[in-house]
Amino acid sequence: MTHGLDAYAYLKSPIHRWEPRCKLIALLALIFAFAFVQQLILLPAMVLVTLSYYAISRLPGAFLLKRLRYPGFFLAAIAVLLPFNVGNIVIWQLGFLALRQEGLLALILIVTRFLCILTVGLILFGTAPFLTSIKAMRSLGLPSVLADMMLLSYRYIEQFGEDLARMQTAMRLRGFRANKFSRRNLTVLASLAGSLLVRSYEQSQQVYQAMILRGYGCVPSRRHQLFKIHASDLIGLLVTCVVALGFVVAEIILTNA
Amino acid sequence: MHIPDGILPASIIVAGYATTGGVTWYSLRQIKRDKNPQENIPKASLLTAAFFVASWIHIPVPPVSVHLILNGLLGTILGYYALPAILIGLFFQAVMFQHGGLSTLGVNATMFGIPAIVAYHLFQLRHKVGKNNRVWTGVFAFLAGAGGLGVSVVIFFFLIVTNIPANIDAAVERNVIYGLVLAHIPLMFIEGAFTAAVALFLMRVKPELLKP
Repeated sequence: MTHGLDAYAYLKSPIHRWEPRCKLIALLALIFAFAFVQQLILLPAMVLVTLSYYAISRLPGAFLLKRLRYPGFFLAAIAVLLPFNVGNIVIWQLGFLALRQEGLLALILIVTRFLCILTVGLILFGTAPFLTSIKAMRSLGLPSVLADMMLLSYRYIEQFGEDLARMQTAMRLRGFRANKFSRRNLTVLASLAGSLLVRSYEQSQQVYQAMILRGYGCVPSRRHQLFKIHASDLIGLLVTCVVALGFVVAEIILTNA
Repeated sequence: MHIPDGILPASIIVAGYATTGGVTWYSLRQIKRDKNPQENIPKASLLTAAFFVASWIHIPVPPVSVHLILNGLLGTILGYYALPAILIGLFFQAVMFQHGGLSTLGVNATMFGIPAIVAYHLFQLRHKVGKNNRVWTGVFAFLAGAGGLGVSVVIFFFLIVTNIPANIDAAVERNVIYGLVLAHIPLMFIEGAFTAAVALFLMRVKPELLKP
């Protein structure tokens, strides 16, 4: 796939070798534990754990930095809004600009949680082929309708992306320039979206026929034979769950202290 | 307009997953009542992929361009398949483009999914009017598109403004939410007009797509 999420799935590291179901449960537990954290004192530990997992995964730093480009807009927006607009205690002032303590602390909490969760998510889905991750979710009990839809959608996103690019090129070659908002432009762009939907609908009928010919809905599931769990996988799962639980317990203790 | 990781407290995240779980269960139950759900799965899947790609189309609104959410249009065409479609689309966006988040997947799916189901029922109201012609199809598609985005916008700003981890005066919070929602009315109009235009295009080219 052109988005390159699983471009480094071929690397060899303990995280890459981790059985996909154990990895999914463990790293999702870590993500939810991070989301639970409200106390600033826990943030350094959170960063340390995240960096440790990233180092173990041997994913290149450039991979993480490249993935931060899009969320960077969100980070920039809250970095501008929160410290200057939220809170009462002014810690620095320059003219009408007042840096406020509550806003600054909120910014640190949000940005750290955001970066840690995003990085763990990248470790989770960047260290295995995406289809393996979907199959792992399916074998963990994801409803078959959702799993089938996910696999099929994933298969066709790139193709429809290319179809869209081709149709947009054809529109430009015919002189269409969408540089202002007008009823005509909106109708033309709606027709473009409609054409994409019609193409996908027509193709889906062929896909269904092909799936029926290959026995879709009749073949017994062999999902339990897909993955094999070793002792090291369980140890990794246990250690990560203990770390995740540690964050939750520490948060509860610190909140009640 | 996706809520990213790190902003919301754990209680809202858990509530988001619980609500999405409940609504997804209800949607899957409705889907299983179809005459042939197996036939509809490829259709819904490919349309999910097509919607995912269609959301990359930018509408010029000088000096910028906006991309549409399309949850109202998803509801009008996919019916109860809209919720799994939105869940999958949001999951792909979170893991492929880091847009939205894994911890906030439940909240985002609720925020876009429930309005999509509302949009579906709004669009079905055209049959009650008894005149399944172009005008009524356009009117109800507009309402579905604008309403789908409108409900999502209200949920989005309510969650963001009330859950920023700092003390803001309740009256200020309320005014900020009102202001931000009002600022999105032009976008609701664009989303509604686009949904109506797509529905009218499909009515002319492939009318069976409007009969989920």
